[in-house]
Amino acid sequence: METFSALLAGFGVALQPLNLLWGFIGVTLGTAVGVLPGVGPALTVAMLLPLTVKLDPTGALIMFAGIYYGAMFGGSTTTILLNTPGESASIATALEGNLMAKNGRAGPALATSAIGSFVAGSIATVLLTLLAPLVVSVALKFGPAEYFALMVFAFTTVAAVLGASTVRGLTSLFLGLLLGLVGIDSQTGSPRFAFGVPELLDGVDVVVLAVGLFAVGEALYVAAYQSRLSEKIEKFSGSVMMTREDWKRSWPAWLRGTAFGFPFGSIPAGGAEIPTFLSYATEKKLSKHPEEFGHGAIEGVAGPEAANNASATGTLVPLLTLGIPTSATAAILLGAFQNYGIQPGPLLFQSQGDLVWGLIASLYIGNVILLILNLPLIGIWVKVLQIPKDLLYGGILVFATLGAYSLHQSWVDLLTLYVFGLLGFAMRRWGVPVGPVVIGLILGPLAETQFRRALSISQGDASVFFTQPISATFLAITAAVVIVPWAVRRWKKARPA
Amino acid sequence: MKFSSAELALSLGVLGLGLASAVATASLSGEGGYANIGPNFMPAVVACGLVACGLWLLYEVFSGGWRERPPDDPAGRGDHPFYAPGFAWITAALAAHMALIGTAGFVIAGMALFAGVARGFGSRRWARDIAIGALIAVVVFLFFVRFLNVNLPAGWLAPVLGSAGV
Repeated sequence: METFSALLAGFGVALQPLNLLWGFIGVTLGTAVGVLPGVGPALTVAMLLPLTVKLDPTGALIMFAGIYYGAMFGGSTTTILLNTPGESASIATALEGNLMAKNGRAGPALATSAIGSFVAGSIATVLLTLLAPLVVSVALKFGPAEYFALMVFAFTTVAAVLGASTVRGLTSLFLGLLLGLVGIDSQTGSPRFAFGVPELLDGVDVVVLAVGLFAVGEALYVAAYQSRLSEKIEKFSGSVMMTREDWKRSWPAWLRGTAFGFPFGSIPAGGAEIPTFLSYATEKKLSKHPEEFGHGAIEGVAGPEAANNASATGTLVPLLTLGIPTSATAAILLGAFQNYGIQPGPLLFQSQGDLVWGLIASLYIGNVILLILNLPLIGIWVKVLQIPKDLLYGGILVFATLGAYSLHQSWVDLLTLYVFGLLGFAMRRWGVPVGPVVIGLILGPLAETQFRRALSISQGDASVFFTQPISATFLAITAAVVIVPWAVRRWKKARPA
Repeated sequence: MKFSSAELALSLGVLGLGLASAVATASLSGEGGYANIGPNFMPAVVACGLVACGLWLLYEVFSGGWRERPPDDPAGRGDHPFYAPGFAWITAALAAHMALIGTAGFVIAGMALFAGVARGFGSRRWARDIAIGALIAVVVFLFFVRFLNVNLPAGWLAPVLGSAGV
């Protein structure tokens, strides 16, 4: 009941006309930018952050939430019509969605994706509402040792377990941790790795890193390897209406997709790829029309889209309740919170309940705005999609450099941006995952603080991480997620089936 | 023995970065922390981590190459071969932007950036690109300076754009 009244108060905040307006602007801009080919949700959020400088924290966070949701939806539109998944979580959608579009069924594909996102997003937001207070009540008992163990778990799953190569994931994570060290040590105030450059004393800004990796890196990559490929945009004509049959086949897929997506998003294991592919495989198996898979089956769009969206909302559980980002986008959101002096975590629910619950309430509203805004405006998004690459990347880079330059009015930040662009280019070209860098940058300093606090409480006794039961459990799970898959692989190799 | 020189260079880069961080860590003070955990502890951990990753990557280079990497053959990735002018134009456009923004101002620098990037993507329509770049830069400038109160340099165009900006 307490949750309910808190949520009601949250709606009171989110429904204030001005906040409603920010949410509306956020969703619209998020969709418009997210539709751009090559611009994923992480880059959308990072590029649009400078727009919120003048807002109060609540308004800004509501706008971020709108941008986040809008970017997800925009990305699906691009995936279905263009078959260039902006992020790995959209690959499953691309499989069937693009084929549907090729068969002239772009309308229903977009509709099942939009309505599925609404259904999944709304259910996931209800689950978030119910789950968050529970996690908070547990998390309030956590000390620094527990937090540190939890962060180690998040680092490990994000860097070492997901992705093609453990060593490249870890390399990416350590690069992020290294960047996170640059600047002034929060505990003692002594500068580290700044080499006397004033711009570096403030630390590496997450917007510069994300925009460098995702915008400059992507521009370099596409110009070098893909600029002369012709892309075929599937024609979108006719109605977005789904037939009775479409509805009948979509709704169970939406629900199952949500059931896959939310848990994967909300445990600090990050990544929407696994649930989207699980959903795809499940739909393929359960479908009464398995022969349509590979030719544009609507369940193959409905399920993964729902899973992707539910997972995105699920990511907000560890972000808001524990302050732990488990995706690059969540890390950028956390960086944005920090710019306002807000540190998400269990204490935030107590100290700034209005803000948190206003944000959660705005997620419900954002979902509704997305649904009523996007299907009617689909014609506009298709136009946005047709912007030629030369103009598109010109515009993206003008915006990307603006965000970096406005930090200190200094060209040094622009140079840093370019260096991160080169890094992003190399990582994309040679298959090093980018997410762990961003997560390492944001989460590294938090983990260091917890580590040092834990040791100062235990007076330097490092066994504290293993003797506290909760902390020891997290570390044991961490060890298990590393060792078990490795052992299974070994075992399979030793005895070829 | 066959190995990829790009993989070798990148692995050595990671290793070198780890060693450089170790050297930089050595000059950090450990003072001010509790229980021997000062501001130099985490840098030491990260330096060790990078060195370990660099060595691991090196080992993979010489034992069959990095595992499960995107193919080198561009067609295998669905790409065309490396197009150096594209890469170079974008680099040049960003360098010009860096050089111009402090003196010539946001609008001129943005215009040059836009046109240079468009050129990198194969556009030959300079007049169109410069016009569109100028339009975008002016709109963005006025929106950020007038509406959001973000300081952006007006530079040489200060007489036209008004005293807004720095």
